[in-house]
Amino acid sequence: MQMTEETTIREKKTAAREVGACWSCGAEAQQRHFCPACNKVQPQPPDTDFFRFFGLERKLGLDTAALERQFYELSWKLHPDNFHNASAYEQELSLAKSAVLNDAWRALRDPVARVEYLLGLEGVRREGDIKQQAPPDLLEEVFELNEYLEELRDARRSGGSSRERQELRHRLEQARHTFEEKMDAVLAELTAQFPVFDAANDGSARKAALNNMSEILNRHSYIRNLVRNVTDELDEE
Amino acid sequence: MNRIVGIDLGTTYSLVAYTDATTRKPVCIPDAEGRTLLPSIVSLDTDGALAVGWPARERLLHQPERTAYSVKRLMGKGIDDVRDELALFPYRVAAGSEQVIRIQLSDKIFTPPEISAHILRELKRRAENFFGEEVTRAVITVPAYFNDAQRQATKDAGRIAGLEVERLVNEPTAASLAYGLDKHQRALIAVYDFGGGTFDISILRLQEGLFEVLATNGDTHLGGDDLDNLFVEKIREEIREQHGVDVAGAVDLYQRLRDTLISSKHELSSCERAILRFLLDGKGEFTREISRAEFESWIAPIIERTLGPCKRALKDAGLQPAQIDEVVLVGGSTRVPLVRRRVEELFGRKPHCELNPDEVVALGAAIQANILSGGVQDMLLLDVTPLSLGIETMGGAVAKIIPRNSTIPASATEMFTTYVDNQTGVDIHVAQGERELVKDCRSLARFTLKIPPQPAGLPRVEVKFLIDADGLLQVTARDLRTEDEQTVEVKPSYGLSDDEVERMLIESIEHAEEDFAASQLIGARNEADTILRATEKALKEEEAAELTDDERRQIAEAEAALSDALKTEDYKLIRERLEQLNQATHRLAELIMNSAMQTAMKGKRPDEVNL
Repeated sequence: MQMTEETTIREKKTAAREVGACWSCGAEAQQRHFCPACNKVQPQPPDTDFFRFFGLERKLGLDTAALERQFYELSWKLHPDNFHNASAYEQELSLAKSAVLNDAWRALRDPVARVEYLLGLEGVRREGDIKQQAPPDLLEEVFELNEYLEELRDARRSGGSSRERQELRHRLEQARHTFEEKMDAVLAELTAQFPVFDAANDGSARKAALNNMSEILNRHSYIRNLVRNVTDELDEE
Repeated sequence: MNRIVGIDLGTTYSLVAYTDATTRKPVCIPDAEGRTLLPSIVSLDTDGALAVGWPARERLLHQPERTAYSVKRLMGKGIDDVRDELALFPYRVAAGSEQVIRIQLSDKIFTPPEISAHILRELKRRAENFFGEEVTRAVITVPAYFNDAQRQATKDAGRIAGLEVERLVNEPTAASLAYGLDKHQRALIAVYDFGGGTFDISILRLQEGLFEVLATNGDTHLGGDDLDNLFVEKIREEIREQHGVDVAGAVDLYQRLRDTLISSKHELSSCERAILRFLLDGKGEFTREISRAEFESWIAPIIERTLGPCKRALKDAGLQPAQIDEVVLVGGSTRVPLVRRRVEELFGRKPHCELNPDEVVALGAAIQANILSGGVQDMLLLDVTPLSLGIETMGGAVAKIIPRNSTIPASATEMFTTYVDNQTGVDIHVAQGERELVKDCRSLARFTLKIPPQPAGLPRVEVKFLIDADGLLQVTARDLRTEDEQTVEVKPSYGLSDDEVERMLIESIEHAEEDFAASQLIGARNEADTILRATEKALKEEEAAELTDDERRQIAEAEAALSDALKTEDYKLIRERLEQLNQATHRLAELIMNSAMQTAMKGKRPDEVNL
């Protein structure tokens, strides 16, 4: 019984996809989350743009509080728990849609993730392509930090005195603090570019802004990774 | 009949609960003796019958080799994962345990999901007796830190037991539902769940009925069992020194000591000292006084292990301990005073323990069951996946595609292509964990994408990885050139194959018929007892004087016939005789009812009478 229901639904689905019509009542669904006529949940088109999912333009400056409210609103409406007694097809749809909702929220809520996502969307960066670049003005500090890390690891391995390790810890914590401040500064540099990108009105201006942010992001990733390594090492103690 | 129950399948104890439709509050279902707890213990009798729960717990002391306990620690694991732990259990492990552990009890082999299925079936039966109808749907809880294989094993257990597992819910999240049921404010809560075999810490934000998990962490190899094992080791050493006896030499001696020390552990939670007394089978008696302070000095390092995950979870949530508004304790092991002190120290506030730490998870599961049934519209759970999901890349590294603590459902899409001309398959290895190398992560599954032969680099296959609301991975693949969806055959690295589950399900259905008859018998007997008592009472009423001798004789005969039937195991016969008694007492019932109505209606006008 479920098979025939599913086959008819699939046929409707394919037909509806072509016209943008609701699979259930046939009304014009206009790629909305729910059909404006019968309120049934609609399929999520593949290659969904996360900005468009939230009804936003492709701009980096966004009201995170408003985004969060929208996220919660949509969570209440789309969560699979609400569709537990609905048809198998609707359950499939709500599962896929809430995954996209959560993915989109994860990508847009944090400025760094937002830029990474945008760069991927615009083809400037392939997803998963994390480049890192040591900030030139910090090379000396980076070198020193790596030395401390090595020393701490050696001290732990060879069972160095606790005073020795205490000292090293202290120096590492100080170094980490310096880098955390630097990371905040680079983040500020990045977010300062948001209005520049948002205001860009031709292809080349956009491209320039994106490339700029990509470079800043590389520096940010490098420092973030460094801080992470230090934290992991200190946590081992 | 659409009822969904909530089940806590615990390491040490299991429970079943439901939401009362009138009070809308969750309630644990007791057994015939009024106990809500069911020991998660299964024992094989010499005649091949299986005992589950309290009777099995008895057997643990006398026939430990035929008894399996704390099986939850073995779910979703292979032999390599548990070698050290297994040394402490009395079971034997059979061959073929690389992907699923096979335990030998006497001459029968069981996998952990099968044993868990027996426990689930016992709870199912308990619920059916309680409701007087079939129960086939359940929400089952799992530790938040359980990986994909451990979750799947739990679902398999449910299936084998004849239950449709409507949802797997994380234990700390379930506990927070029970805790936050009547609370409609905003709060940040930390749930510290220290059970028999697993430890979980979850940080949640509660706001207007939305329970959002911000971060979760834990250790699936850490629990009250570890406190017990340590205690046994210490005392075993002392016994060996003082009496020259090694309790590990005899399995039942070991289990008896363990049982004694567990009681002492409980005692030390409420008293500052306890006296240990242990008889050594004809070699004298070991006695020793132990203070709480000494016990705490032994277990301190184990408790300490729970603090690391707490700090990591707080970090992932971006919070300081002081920002947590409420701390909720879950799990029997949180009764240990040292645990409470350390938790209070970490969070700077007294933890909540007004909810029964043994029952709170089952109650939460019942609430989730009610949400799924549509009985609750003002609560929603947003949970997370505890472990990062990654794919193996060149050189044995792992590329994370869905980070830990991502709200679920969550997905990631990856594009694959070929590196060699006419390559027809791309092998994909999926793993869970936080490390950089795949060998340090938990292998989840492998599968091969089928590619039509083409020059290298041309194919474009898009694979979507989806983690569903149960925390389980689903994989779909699409060839972007042809728009064809590929069915992906995922081979899990650990766990039972679909065929094995099918076979176990069929076997359990055979058992289920026996079970059904057994529960029908209990139901029929109960009803017969009630009706016989009521009949006797009715015969003493003054209205009974109006019965004819013939009617009176018929009633007596029907009562006798029913009493005879009660001596048999034939529930159908009992029901037949019950029906006959009902018919024989029909007039008596009428007489009594008419008289009652007359009394009620005396002095009432016709329009005042409610019928």
